[in-house]
Amino acid sequence: MYLIKNRVNVLQAWLWCVSLWPCWLSHAVPLDCKDETGSLAQCASISQEKLLDRVIQHAELIYRVSEESCTLFEDMFVPYPLHALRSQGGNLCHTKPFPIPGSKSEIQQISDKWLLHSVLMLVQSWMEPLIYLQTTLNRYDDAPDALLNKTKWVSDKLLSLEQGVVVLIRKMLDEGILTSSSIFEHTLTPYNEQSPEVLESVLRNYNLLICFKKDAHKMETFLKLLKCRQSNKLSCVSY
Amino acid sequence: SFYSPRGPHFTGCRSREQETFRCWWSAGIFQNLTEPGTLRVFYQTKNALSEWQECPDYTHTVKNECYFNKTFTHIWTSYCIQLRSVRENITYDETCFTVENIVHPDPPIGLNWTLLNVSHSGLHFDILVRWAPPPSADVQMGWMSLMYQVQYRVRNASHWEMLDLESGTQQSIYGLHTDKEYEVRVRCKMSAFNNFGEFSDSILVHVAQIPSKESTFPTTLVLIFGVIGLVILLVLLIFSQQQRLMVIFLPPIPAPKIKGIDPELLKNGKLDQLNSLLSSQDMYKPDFYHEDPWVEFIQLDLDDPAEKNESSDTQHLLGLSRSGSSHVLHFKSDDDSGRASCYDPEIPNPEDLAALLPGHSGRGDNHPLVSRSSSSIPDLGVQQTSEVEETPIQTQPAVPSWVNMDFYAQVSDFTPAGGVVLSPGQLNSSPEKKKEEENEKKIPFQLVSDGAYTSENTARQLSADVPPSPGPEQGYQTFPTQAVEGNLWNGEYLVSTSDSQIPYLLPEAPPVPILPPVSGYTVVQEVDAQHSLLLNPPSSQPAICPHSPNKHLPAMPTMPMGYLTPDLLGNLTP
Repeated sequence: MYLIKNRVNVLQAWLWCVSLWPCWLSHAVPLDCKDETGSLAQCASISQEKLLDRVIQHAELIYRVSEESCTLFEDMFVPYPLHALRSQGGNLCHTKPFPIPGSKSEIQQISDKWLLHSVLMLVQSWMEPLIYLQTTLNRYDDAPDALLNKTKWVSDKLLSLEQGVVVLIRKMLDEGILTSSSIFEHTLTPYNEQSPEVLESVLRNYNLLICFKKDAHKMETFLKLLKCRQSNKLSCVSY
Repeated sequence: SFYSPRGPHFTGCRSREQETFRCWWSAGIFQNLTEPGTLRVFYQTKNALSEWQECPDYTHTVKNECYFNKTFTHIWTSYCIQLRSVRENITYDETCFTVENIVHPDPPIGLNWTLLNVSHSGLHFDILVRWAPPPSADVQMGWMSLMYQVQYRVRNASHWEMLDLESGTQQSIYGLHTDKEYEVRVRCKMSAFNNFGEFSDSILVHVAQIPSKESTFPTTLVLIFGVIGLVILLVLLIFSQQQRLMVIFLPPIPAPKIKGIDPELLKNGKLDQLNSLLSSQDMYKPDFYHEDPWVEFIQLDLDDPAEKNESSDTQHLLGLSRSGSSHVLHFKSDDDSGRASCYDPEIPNPEDLAALLPGHSGRGDNHPLVSRSSSSIPDLGVQQTSEVEETPIQTQPAVPSWVNMDFYAQVSDFTPAGGVVLSPGQLNSSPEKKKEEENEKKIPFQLVSDGAYTSENTARQLSADVPPSPGPEQGYQTFPTQAVEGNLWNGEYLVSTSDSQIPYLLPEAPPVPILPPVSGYTVVQEVDAQHSLLLNPPSSQPAICPHSPNKHLPAMPTMPMGYLTPDLLGNLTP
């Protein structure tokens, strides 16, 4: 009797396990069925071109929103004489592991692989600072809702962008990468003890926003260059 | 800073395509520094190198310009430039920027327009404007993302109309006038920045107005005149047919009526017709009050017939011995069937009455209590045995017309057997008849109509007037002594009258409270407009308020019947 009962139990357990295998699969399989938006839609395969378009759209939107956030913050918190800081492009943006060239000719010579990796690295490097920015903005007394919403939105979109870039890397470069945002150490140390709305805090956040805008522009530029190369290699090469 | 009122300063830095840029300066008021070479530009990029380097290229063709070519142009990096006088080692001006922030794109090229449509009236038209991005801007690679702004105006006007920013390379313009000439131009800027480039060359837009063959003027006139004519016609129609329209739109409210009854009839007082009408209404039957149930309920039931003979109060009062007297004042038995009616009061048999009186026999006319009226009423004393016409005593005819009958009759007495003795109510027929009936009332053996209470003294008076007969003592009836008992005697006095007078009652006696000839019940004659009941209106007014304000109220004639039932009353009320 006990033997039969045990067998039945084992059978049941096995059946349960078998029935739950799609869940395992979704966890084990790295981002195959997800597009850059991160939705577990039908694993309908998306073409690389379309995926790249979507990724570029994301980057463009992020760039635009970062610009709007910077303007909002500047209008609200930054005294007018310091607005010139913006045109100076921000100082001491948190350092990146490797430098990114700034001239067009140099950028045009960057390989696809390097472009994608740069984008991924940029995206990953900004996730934590944006969360920090959100917390500090929430502590401000009169932070406008639009600003808070925008920063929140950007944080979410960055995640999607990361996923999309990872997929692109896998598809275009045939490299497998696990999504992880904690690979690179970040040099930004949050000053949680300091009271908000002090000029120093304001300037720090202002600088943060300026730097983020610049990096978002970088992401967009790289991705567009990548697209240009995909479609028409001749016109994208500088002479 | 870019602006310094005196001395050498930078006048500006610009990049056209984000790949190169130029900077210009001015010597200011220092004339001794205008020589080329005295002022030099040094720059520093903040990212890698921290040394100050001199301007890579001083443009030869343009004065005071420093040109940075592609090699030296780095985006996403900060530049700081200084204007120095090397000889004096003075830095006159310094400024920092990034290249993206100084980009002013070239104007778009290839601006043209196409006609979309022209409105029906031919007065307006829409166009589609197209252009191409500046060739210097590398939009294909994505190096620059441009946004465009289209402006237009009527030619040589002062104010330009601005449309929204457009990221594409075409835009529609709506609502342009056909007879006007327009100028259209476009400019662009980098999407995340606010530095617009120069405007492109304006293009002229003009669409000639097509002269429409058909003129709209007569049509409008015709329409206006038609409408006016219609309005006039309508007004005339309304005025001519005003009455009919009033009837159609504002119908008169119908007056309340009883079906089948003509209000004129009521005013004239034609009772017969009205009676016939009302009888047909099924609610006012002639025999109505014959079957009036409450009359029957007055009957007293004395179970023991022996009591009739033994314990009759009447007999007590009259002093008759029950055993021996054969002349028991028998009133009508308590058998009320058919006789318990208003107009059939229990009037004792004349014979019985005669037997009641002591020494009545043979007295004839001399009996004080017996009088002979002028009317042809049979004398009791004489005609004892004669056939008595009971009916004439009755004031009411044997077959009374219900018109002349009182609906109510007062109860005057109870018979020993429990029957009800009714006194005839007030007669409300014509006044002449009234008098006659009054006379008839005075006939002996007729009960007093008003049922007034006769006091003891009066009764004594009555009895005193009875001449003591030498007859047996017991003949005397001490009915006065019993007079005080209740109201039983109210109507029972035999009144001797002569010529319509009541001599015995009136003098020396406490005045009988002569009530007005109104019984306890009064007939409602009419309900007037204010819903008040009019009792016995004076006969001088034959018609009841013929000119009353409320003509719709059907005036009831002098109804002899005693009351109005509620439904009748409801019919009267408007």
